Amino acid sequence: MNAQFKSTILQDFRKTAANPVNVSLQEWKKSGRKIIGCMYHYIPEEIITAAGMLPYRMKAVGSKGTELSESCFTQINCGFVRHLFDSGVRGELGFIDGLVSVNNCDHIRRFYENWQKKIKTPYMHFMPFPKKSGREQAEVYRKELADFKNSLEKHFNVQITDTKLKKAIELHNETRRLQRELYELRKKKNPPITGADVHAVMVASSSMPKEKYNTMLTGLLEELYTGEGISDYSERIMVVGGELDDPKFIEVIESQGCLVVADSLGYGYRAIAEDVDTDIEPLTALAEYHVLKRPACPRIFGTTFNRNDFVRHIAEEFKVDGVISVRLPLCDEWSFEQVNLIGYLKKHGIPHLTLDIDYILSSTGQIKTRSQAFLETISGTKHGR
Amino acid sequence: MTTKPIRGLERYYEYRERWKAIISDMEKSPVPNPALLALFRLFLENDEKTIDCAENNKPFLSSWYGNAPEIYAAMGIHYICVVDNLLAHQSFTDDLAGIDANIVPDDMCGLIKLGAYAVEKGLVPTPTGMIAMLEPCDAQSVLHESWINNDAWKDVPYFALDPAYRSGKEDFEYFVGELRRMIAFLENLTGIKLDWNRLREVIEETNKQYEIWDEYNQLRRAVPCPGGSFQGSGIGWAISQHIMAGHPGATDLFRMLLADEESRYKANKGWLEKENSRVLWADLIGTVNAPIGEWLEKEHGTVVVQDFQGYTPYSHIDTSTEESMLLGLAKRNLAEVPMIRQARGNVDVFIEDVIRIVEDYKIDCVFFPGHVGHKDQSASVGFLREACRELGVPLLVLTMDIFDPRYLPMDKFTHIVNEFFETHKLGKFK
Ligand code: SF4
Ligand code: SF4
Repeated sequence: MNAQFKSTILQDFRKTAANPVNVSLQEWKKSGRKIIGCMYHYIPEEIITAAGMLPYRMKAVGSKGTELSESCFTQINCGFVRHLFDSGVRGELGFIDGLVSVNNCDHIRRFYENWQKKIKTPYMHFMPFPKKSGREQAEVYRKELADFKNSLEKHFNVQITDTKLKKAIELHNETRRLQRELYELRKKKNPPITGADVHAVMVASSSMPKEKYNTMLTGLLEELYTGEGISDYSERIMVVGGELDDPKFIEVIESQGCLVVADSLGYGYRAIAEDVDTDIEPLTALAEYHVLKRPACPRIFGTTFNRNDFVRHIAEEFKVDGVISVRLPLCDEWSFEQVNLIGYLKKHGIPHLTLDIDYILSSTGQIKTRSQAFLETISGTKHGR
Repeated sequence: MTTKPIRGLERYYEYRERWKAIISDMEKSPVPNPALLALFRLFLENDEKTIDCAENNKPFLSSWYGNAPEIYAAMGIHYICVVDNLLAHQSFTDDLAGIDANIVPDDMCGLIKLGAYAVEKGLVPTPTGMIAMLEPCDAQSVLHESWINNDAWKDVPYFALDPAYRSGKEDFEYFVGELRRMIAFLENLTGIKLDWNRLREVIEETNKQYEIWDEYNQLRRAVPCPGGSFQGSGIGWAISQHIMAGHPGATDLFRMLLADEESRYKANKGWLEKENSRVLWADLIGTVNAPIGEWLEKEHGTVVVQDFQGYTPYSHIDTSTEESMLLGLAKRNLAEVPMIRQARGNVDVFIEDVIRIVEDYKIDCVFFPGHVGHKDQSASVGFLREACRELGVPLLVLTMDIFDPRYLPMDKFTHIVNEFFETHKLGKFK
């Protein structure tokens, strides 16, 4: 079902998403500039950009195992964290000059400490992130951001002025705007790009300099506007989940004949639905963006209702026939999300399938079988069978 | 005319009758255990209050430990923890089988699964309000989130206390702010105004309780240990967290515990005639611990001298001003209540507690149960290994669900421990 492209932009995005390291990173590094690893999406990457460094969302795509993480973690720890730690110990992420993390989940907060002890990246910074969303929490997080900014300045001997911050925010907003444009195309009856490819484009943004990314994405959009749409698909599907960084799981779902046209994923629509305010003081804008504005993940208490509505709203806007929600085993944060979503989507008559998938997809049989059965059910309902 | 049964009360009537029967049997016994009798009476009184609130539309809350229950107590608002009765009555119910049929992922903590099941199945009455706990684990927060998504509880007004992650002055002050916002929520919800003098009384009573608990713990440092495995932890936790805070009956019960242990201590007698080894159970105690403690004592002459649930280095709360009381409550609930103490924030407290307990209580080996819910602690295992190596104490790392005895069946547990003890010449192999 792949659409044809003249340029190699999409291929480049795919390659970037499929590997921890990519050409742009290497070039960046070669030019003597720094790379800061970010643990998850609550890190205000704009501050890093404003410091003249590259924010890199930590990933372990292509990891071969977890053996080297076993002295620090056990089988009840999430696969993402174990693979990532293993990659770290192997030196595969040795290109990062710093690591910044929030206490995103119980696995990640200890991941940070284990990393600090064993891997010892030269610069490390930890920021507690509130567990609920409110004005007081945004204020507390703003203080954390100020500390983070100061520590970056001190460690790397750089100056992060408000002007630089504003510029960085505008740059990242531009990325989000372009990505939303990409998503708009998926609303078409015959979207010009598969769900797996969109995911690759989204994931790639987290490991490239934003200027280069924006140029490439602009190029890709131009091609997509004139390109042919995909028509040989059965159902329109939406995927919901956390920080899944491997487009392969969408590819597997789409291999069953459907097209993934929308999502609520950490690297997906939740990351681009809103922009950071440019009219207020930058650190306040960033804190408010993360605590109050952007669609939250289940990490933030009391947000299910909005998130469920968000899912339904997107499902309607992108005219999806069904929703597949995915969770990594042992992830408590996404556990009840599935349960809550089951009830909510049932109430609204939206077909729904829940899947537990491994961080590194070694076997895909189960996903295929279950997706196929799900698609058949939807198709049966659609055709009154 | 038949009146509609109130959701959740059927179970509570069952609990009430069971407590009454147990108490009556104990009273008839020639040698009733006074501490247990007092404990069950407190449980009965608590359940009767819940029933009264639900039947007569009196306000009551769903809460969890670490939410400064001293405040509700001072306001005279009754509260329940959804899971406490489920745990206390686990052996009389089929709740464990029930959680298997539930759609909650089975890789979560048994306590969480029970909590979700209880609200889903209507095994607890619907409260007037809920104070949600967002620490120390991810699962707590999402469990509370699941409740507000439940049809029966969806209209229950709630307030969630956002915990600070660190333990500095600013962090406690932030939590004081959260406590103030909680008080405003409660006043608004119930129309009851917090009487600060009453809060002072409640806190002073709890200060007394924690002092006695601490004395009790100090005696356990003695070799041989004058108290049994997990003894004070189970009771102390229940009466400090699940019974109305500052209940004088709980203070009396702490005194009984202390007196009982003190009598053996003064006579230089241990709980066991011959104590071979002393264990630190580096976690909470759950529903699996009673048979484990008994077996260790009988089979190996080994006492679990300390665990995280019983290790409660509570500090005295200064009751001189409103601010000092709230600050004390912030510290107590963020940094002292077991489990929150060791699981919230960074790994240091967990490791420091292990080191301190091993040294102070002359521990021979550490059991790390690897509770399936404690993802943070499982990711702390490298730190723990290193600490035990430096202390020179053997460490046994298990994987179990401390609230579900089926996860690591007793025969497997005993087999693992036998091998471990034999290797390290502990217990009966000493
Ligand atoms: S998938 Fe869940 S458990 Fe794993 S790192 Fe992400 S939030 Fe944490
Ligand atoms: S026992 Fe541990 S995992 Fe379970 S709810 Fe309590 S803190 Fe969370």
